[in-house]
Amino acid sequence: MITEIIVLLFAPLQRFCETNWVRLGAGLAFSVAILGAQAPAGLPEGPGRATTQRICGACHSPTIVVGHNQTAEQWKDTVTNMVVRGAKGTPAELTEVTNYLTKSFPPNGAAPAAPGRAAPRPPRRFGAGPDDQQVVDAAAAERGKSLYSTDCATCHGPQARGTNNGPDLVRSVVVLHDRYGDTLGPFLKTNHPLSNDRHLPALSENQVKDLSHFLHQQMGNTLRTGPYTKVLNVLTGDAHAGAAYFNGPGGCNKCHSPTGDLAGIASKYDPATLQQRFLFPRAVGFGRRGIATTKPTNLTVTPANGAPVSGTLVHLDDFMVSVRDASGNYYSWKRTPDLKVEKQDPYAAHDELLDKYTDRDIHNVVAYLETLK
Amino acid sequence: MKLRLFICAALAAGALLAQGLDPKKLTEPPVDSWPTYNGDYSGRRFSTLSDINANNIRTLSLAWMYRLQTGSEGGAIKSTPLLVNGVLYFTIPDHVFAVDARSGRELWHYRWNSKGGWHLGNRGVGIYGDWLYFETPDCNLVSLHLKDGSERWRKPICDLDRYYTATVAPVVIKNHIIVGVSGDDLDIPGYLESRDPETGDLQWHWSTVPKPGEPGSETWPNAEAMAHGGGMTWVPSTYDPELNLLYLGTGNPQPVIAGKAREGSNLFTESIVALHLDTGKMAWYFQASPHDTHDWDAVETPVLFDGEIDGKPRKLLAQASRNGYFFVLDRTNGKNIVTAPFVKANWAKGIDSKGTPIPNPEKEPQIDGALVSPNQGGAANWPPPSFSPATGLFYVNATRGFSEYYIYDDSDKPEGWGGNDRGGAGQAMLQALDYKTGKPRWTHKWEGQSAHSGVLSTAGNLVFTGDPSNNFVVLNAATGQPLWHANLDSSVSNGPITYKLDNTQYVVVGAGDTLFGFAMLPTDK
Repeated sequence: MITEIIVLLFAPLQRFCETNWVRLGAGLAFSVAILGAQAPAGLPEGPGRATTQRICGACHSPTIVVGHNQTAEQWKDTVTNMVVRGAKGTPAELTEVTNYLTKSFPPNGAAPAAPGRAAPRPPRRFGAGPDDQQVVDAAAAERGKSLYSTDCATCHGPQARGTNNGPDLVRSVVVLHDRYGDTLGPFLKTNHPLSNDRHLPALSENQVKDLSHFLHQQMGNTLRTGPYTKVLNVLTGDAHAGAAYFNGPGGCNKCHSPTGDLAGIASKYDPATLQQRFLFPRAVGFGRRGIATTKPTNLTVTPANGAPVSGTLVHLDDFMVSVRDASGNYYSWKRTPDLKVEKQDPYAAHDELLDKYTDRDIHNVVAYLETLK
Repeated sequence: MKLRLFICAALAAGALLAQGLDPKKLTEPPVDSWPTYNGDYSGRRFSTLSDINANNIRTLSLAWMYRLQTGSEGGAIKSTPLLVNGVLYFTIPDHVFAVDARSGRELWHYRWNSKGGWHLGNRGVGIYGDWLYFETPDCNLVSLHLKDGSERWRKPICDLDRYYTATVAPVVIKNHIIVGVSGDDLDIPGYLESRDPETGDLQWHWSTVPKPGEPGSETWPNAEAMAHGGGMTWVPSTYDPELNLLYLGTGNPQPVIAGKAREGSNLFTESIVALHLDTGKMAWYFQASPHDTHDWDAVETPVLFDGEIDGKPRKLLAQASRNGYFFVLDRTNGKNIVTAPFVKANWAKGIDSKGTPIPNPEKEPQIDGALVSPNQGGAANWPPPSFSPATGLFYVNATRGFSEYYIYDDSDKPEGWGGNDRGGAGQAMLQALDYKTGKPRWTHKWEGQSAHSGVLSTAGNLVFTGDPSNNFVVLNAATGQPLWHANLDSSVSNGPITYKLDNTQYVVVGAGDTLFGFAMLPTDK
């Protein structure tokens, strides 16, 4: 549609612009300078790359994901959150994006690696932090952890987040500037407060490297993309109270039944997903059996001098409305005051509850739904 | 013929000489220029132009488009183009473009070779004389020559290894380049700096979070929490030349979601702050969200205008904050005049004597989740709002949203984020707020869950913005009636601008990877 408008408008306007161009003077015709030219590194090849580039690139550089190494669960969360923030795609496309991200950006050290060697990864371009950040070698980090537990944990704490006797190492500028021990080593030798003290053990170059891997691993685990970004426990409610809410003030039983559509729902979703699904059914949700499909919104459109057309919503804004009917035919209209548009939103009751639930109600309902195995 | 060539050459030379920005333009209403992020220092994004108006808007037509050719380094145009001497200058992360404002023809394109950082968005450039300034995601302030995009110098402004990044457009005021920083990942303190336009050297440094013993330090539990307390300066500042005060909003405290190890109101995060331009010393502050745990940066543009309160003329500042509240302050002293929710919110227990909402601890993130409105996306966000002195209305694209906020790290010393929000539902709308009460004069609800488009208002009684369905929409500024639209195939991703060149008023807007130039053709004479 927009292409046609552009073609129609462009011919006369091009002439108009050319006139101005001459008036401005040829002096503005600078040569095109693309400085610092180097072929941009993009997303790694793989199925779903183009879809990822298109859907994610609508809002931000798609390469933002590079260096964000996450588990499949975390990528599902990320995609779910992005949909809420405006990412547009069909369930099939979003599954494609999730699978692509999961395959291309697995967690640090998760890719198969030869023992004692860093996992091979594509060269980093963009993502949070520096491109040249340390690639953590899980085996070395494990060795570093033993060293750390014996020699450092007393003062710097079990998670390297510091105690009254020693600073936080996750936030330490020395550690953050370090790569494979190159800053940490000299620091331990000469600048650590205990450097001249017999209490600080002399570490070999390899031990410093191991320690460095452990500390960078701790730092990576602290990032919001790290492995500890899980919902801890939502089963804090009372199932009986949840059932009472379900059948009473919540009015859930008007549409749902524990022996009908909700039978076995707790086997389909883990408790955290269950909670999200009934709060925000329109948001895309990943169940134990893949992406959950949302029910379509149905519209009935009645033109001033025509028969009503009912179908699933394809597009609706202030100016246009389009539907696809049960036979698969597509209809679209310009919205005018005499075009009647009736919306049957299957989730309207869920939206209304957002203003009514207490947090206690929510947790009680989850506890109840969790009994529907 | 020879004479004509001579004239052309002379004109060309003239154009070259006149390439730089005349500082006078910065203190005038923008007409044939858009010399700073918000058009002028007030942040109103109001144009006195009325060639395009409610009567003729239906004949607005596309004049040109410029599509980025940056491949996978793309992303949406979130920057507001600056217009100086007929040329538009704008950015995406790592890229600066100069295009002819009359035709969309590219003059030059500069690409920065990045060493990393968040490539989330870039708000644009600042211009001083013949020079241009922008910030890179890998923590550099870079100066280019306006005429050909060649690099003058680069200066580090933050530490990439600490997960700082940079997104903001530098603001040029007198001989100061005002530079902000961003980054939310690893508990770092925010700051604002003034840099020398000639050399990029530091003139002053203002730290959002105080040091032990300084005013505000009593709102933090200890020195370590302060040293890692956040408060990023994501959005360009506004400025009052008479008071010589710079106004900025500060970002969320850190750790972002799990606030257990930063008890207190965490000043001066989530605040509207006035700084003396020449020294960077703080004149006053007003906190929008004490002890925030929802990522509700109070960085939304502090808009400056003069108005009447209880029959008396006042110098005002207004912000539609991400936490759902609209604040009007006296910008001479920071005293609160209006606090009113511009979308319904559920996180505050009331309003304190200073006009600051009082957070309900039950709506802080919880292990089993807390249902909170607004959601993390916010009731408003960085996209610039607009204030029209013609209607007295403050226009902002707003979202009434919900999400569930969780604590993921329940230890005594959570770091980084330590939690997040999940899922969500929302209703997007354009709000026209009466500054005297904070109440909407009109609300235009969009079909869609969230709207992240900037707003422009004009003396033509028009408001320009984007809806959630990729439409660039023009509404009647007084009534909210939609008058014109074009579907741009991507959401409006920046703040629209307008200008008049050769007797033609243009409106330029970014949507995804394309900059669109619309124009009202003058009637032939």
